[in-house]
Amino acid sequence: MHGIRKVYPGVIAVDGVDLDLLPGEIHALVGENGAGKSTLANIAFGAVKPDGGTVEAAGTVGLVHQHFELVGRLRVWHNIMLGREPRKGTVVDVDRARSRVAELAERNGLAIDPDALVEELPIGVQQRVELLRELEREPSVLLLDEPTAALAPAEIATLFATVVQLAKRGTAILVVTHKLQEVIDYTTRVSVMRHGKIVARYETADTSVDEIARAMVGGELPQVAQREPTGAAPCFAARDVSAASDTTTVSGLSFEVHAGEIVGIAGVEGNGQTALADAIAGMIPYTGSIELDGDSTALRHRNNIGIVPQDRHHEGLVLNWSIVENAILGRQNLPGIRKGALTDWRAARADAAAIVERFDVRAASLDVAVKMLSGGNQQKLLVGRALIGDPRFVLAYQPTRGIDVGAAALVQSRLIEARNRGSAILLISFELDEILAIADRVLVMYRGKITGSFTGSEIDRGKIGRLMAGLS
Amino acid sequence: MKVVLRLLAGPAGALLLAFVLAAVAMLIAGVNPVDGFSALIRGSLGGRRPIAETLVQTTALLFPALGISLAFRAGLFNIGAEGQLLMGGLFAGAVGAHLAGPSWLTVAALLLLGMLGGGIWGGIAGWLRARFNASEIISTLMLNFIALSLAGYLVAGPLKSPLASGAETAPLLPNNWLPAFPTIGSLSFGDTRLTISILIAIATAIVLRFVFTRTVFGYELRAAGEAPEAARRSGINMPRMTLIALSLSGAVAGLGGAAIVTGVLHRFNTSLSPGYGYTAIAVALVGDLNPLWVCVAALGFGILEAGGLMMQADAGVPKDAIRVIEGLIILVLAARRYFATRASSAPI
Repeated sequence: MHGIRKVYPGVIAVDGVDLDLLPGEIHALVGENGAGKSTLANIAFGAVKPDGGTVEAAGTVGLVHQHFELVGRLRVWHNIMLGREPRKGTVVDVDRARSRVAELAERNGLAIDPDALVEELPIGVQQRVELLRELEREPSVLLLDEPTAALAPAEIATLFATVVQLAKRGTAILVVTHKLQEVIDYTTRVSVMRHGKIVARYETADTSVDEIARAMVGGELPQVAQREPTGAAPCFAARDVSAASDTTTVSGLSFEVHAGEIVGIAGVEGNGQTALADAIAGMIPYTGSIELDGDSTALRHRNNIGIVPQDRHHEGLVLNWSIVENAILGRQNLPGIRKGALTDWRAARADAAAIVERFDVRAASLDVAVKMLSGGNQQKLLVGRALIGDPRFVLAYQPTRGIDVGAAALVQSRLIEARNRGSAILLISFELDEILAIADRVLVMYRGKITGSFTGSEIDRGKIGRLMAGLS
Repeated sequence: MKVVLRLLAGPAGALLLAFVLAAVAMLIAGVNPVDGFSALIRGSLGGRRPIAETLVQTTALLFPALGISLAFRAGLFNIGAEGQLLMGGLFAGAVGAHLAGPSWLTVAALLLLGMLGGGIWGGIAGWLRARFNASEIISTLMLNFIALSLAGYLVAGPLKSPLASGAETAPLLPNNWLPAFPTIGSLSFGDTRLTISILIAIATAIVLRFVFTRTVFGYELRAAGEAPEAARRSGINMPRMTLIALSLSGAVAGLGGAAIVTGVLHRFNTSLSPGYGYTAIAVALVGDLNPLWVCVAALGFGILEAGGLMMQADAGVPKDAIRVIEGLIILVLAARRYFATRASSAPI
């Protein structure tokens, strides 16, 4: 790819990028959100037409999407052969298709049952299906867009073992990722993108996580705040909680979060996190009890608690409203905001100003509609709103989702500071690194149950990773 | 050019563009648009009586338009202002024929009864939505027909005045009439149909604006309309909000019905509304659901309603042309919303 350029209204997504992929190399493409990585991958694949520059590839190009594009109601073999089914007369030659898939899986060391229904497979196995579908066309160039975002550590190791094998057989591979440890562990070269340009390129053997991270943010990384000892008294308690949301269920969960403690729920997405969060927020019915300081109604009354919801656009913000109006959503009935029947807009504005200042929300003014803010700034506003006033209990669901390294460090620091001041914090995250970085205690969640609990020095990345994958 | 476009993109621009299109339509029909529009202006603003009539029409549109605005701001498409208006008028008319007492008290009581009637009618749709998730668009529309049939039956049967030839209630006792509009200097409205109901309507608009912008209830109502899922997660009881918003919306429309009965007709019959509740949807949208702009929009539509008659008599433009103009305004407005949505969906 030479001189690639792509302009969207108001933003230059890719600005004169040169990128050569050599046969047999695993090339990492890293960068903050919005740096232009995915756009570049889509241009290489041919899904997006560049405004300038040339793309040349010897042979076919395959792309494994960040969000899988599979047909859940079809079987594995059919998903893989979709559109290229071998025929016997006018009907699909099922036997030939199945044996082709079995042979493909065997050759690439990816264990799979060709007859399984895709929607019934775990995420990691679905990813294998997606990968096999691309491999079936025997691409000479394979692009992987954030392939490990939804995988457990063991699944990540399996995936990369396959990728390394492919490279050895001469395939050129590009991995778009923001997990720098994977870059170090598995790739041969790394290109760093910032603001649409390649700003650094290293041989992986000659670089480090720190060096890549500095190139990504264009400077030094902010330090994450230190955890200080706190007097731990039980504050939040879930006892034998069972609930079902649209997509996930939990059964028989019991755990406590102490004041001045961050408890991290580690797990692969889809193992019950949504059901747990929705039950705590009072959004779905549950059995068992959820209490704050012994009071089972406190959570429902939204008094003295902060919630960072899962989906900021639908669940957290009113996009057409200003920062001031959004700053009090969920807090509109608290004393201090509510005066009799009226909203105290002066207090609301003061809160909004405090959030914007402490969380570095970048906006032209407090009165701009939040839809005008970037995703990262919206997320900082959400976390800021949940933490303002040092609530007794904070439920933080993926608090650093979709924000760049620097902003994530800021958000994590603010969470730790709230903990240091005595808040009980329940952190649900799919990033094990995030949990290991800031949690005092780690609970592993697998298929709706807590399968492990680790405190302080017992926290062991390997054990947690195995439990996340359902191994003991 | 850009400035002109931006002006045209506002509600005022929608009106202007609609009038241009209406002029073209008149030309096609062989009428000089200048004659047509001058008759329209004379009939609505050309003197004390036309102005009074314009304000009567403005008031009749303003109450349901304000009620509709309230529901729309809560994200509820109340198409049933017509039925709520009728029920409000029916409640006021049925009781007003018999209620004696000090005038200020009985008039106030009848207006409250109107709110009750409209509120019940809106509340039924609200309950159906809150309890069974039944679309309020369908139920409010259907309730219009039920209201019309029910009122028609009652005024032809149990409530029919024995003295009247048509289907209507007995006339209101004079103590139940809304006072005439106060005399301003030498300008008296005693011989017109204009009453203080226009002042009540404007006061209602001011109260609504206050509720929307200053109260916690108004904040929650707007949150429910703008982002239902975020509102639910902020602890707002959405079924309860639905019930309250549709009840209040109906109550405001019902107040309008009672105002027409106590101020204009002095009795109830089903010709109370020539479709005010439907036209009011356009009024609310032209006014951007903002109570104060809705007042301005209602005045605009009031001018059309009042001036239409003169246009027909003097310029030979059928009164239906007014409906065409109203339709054009709604079309232009819909187009404007379409372009506004497109402009704001560009990546930032």
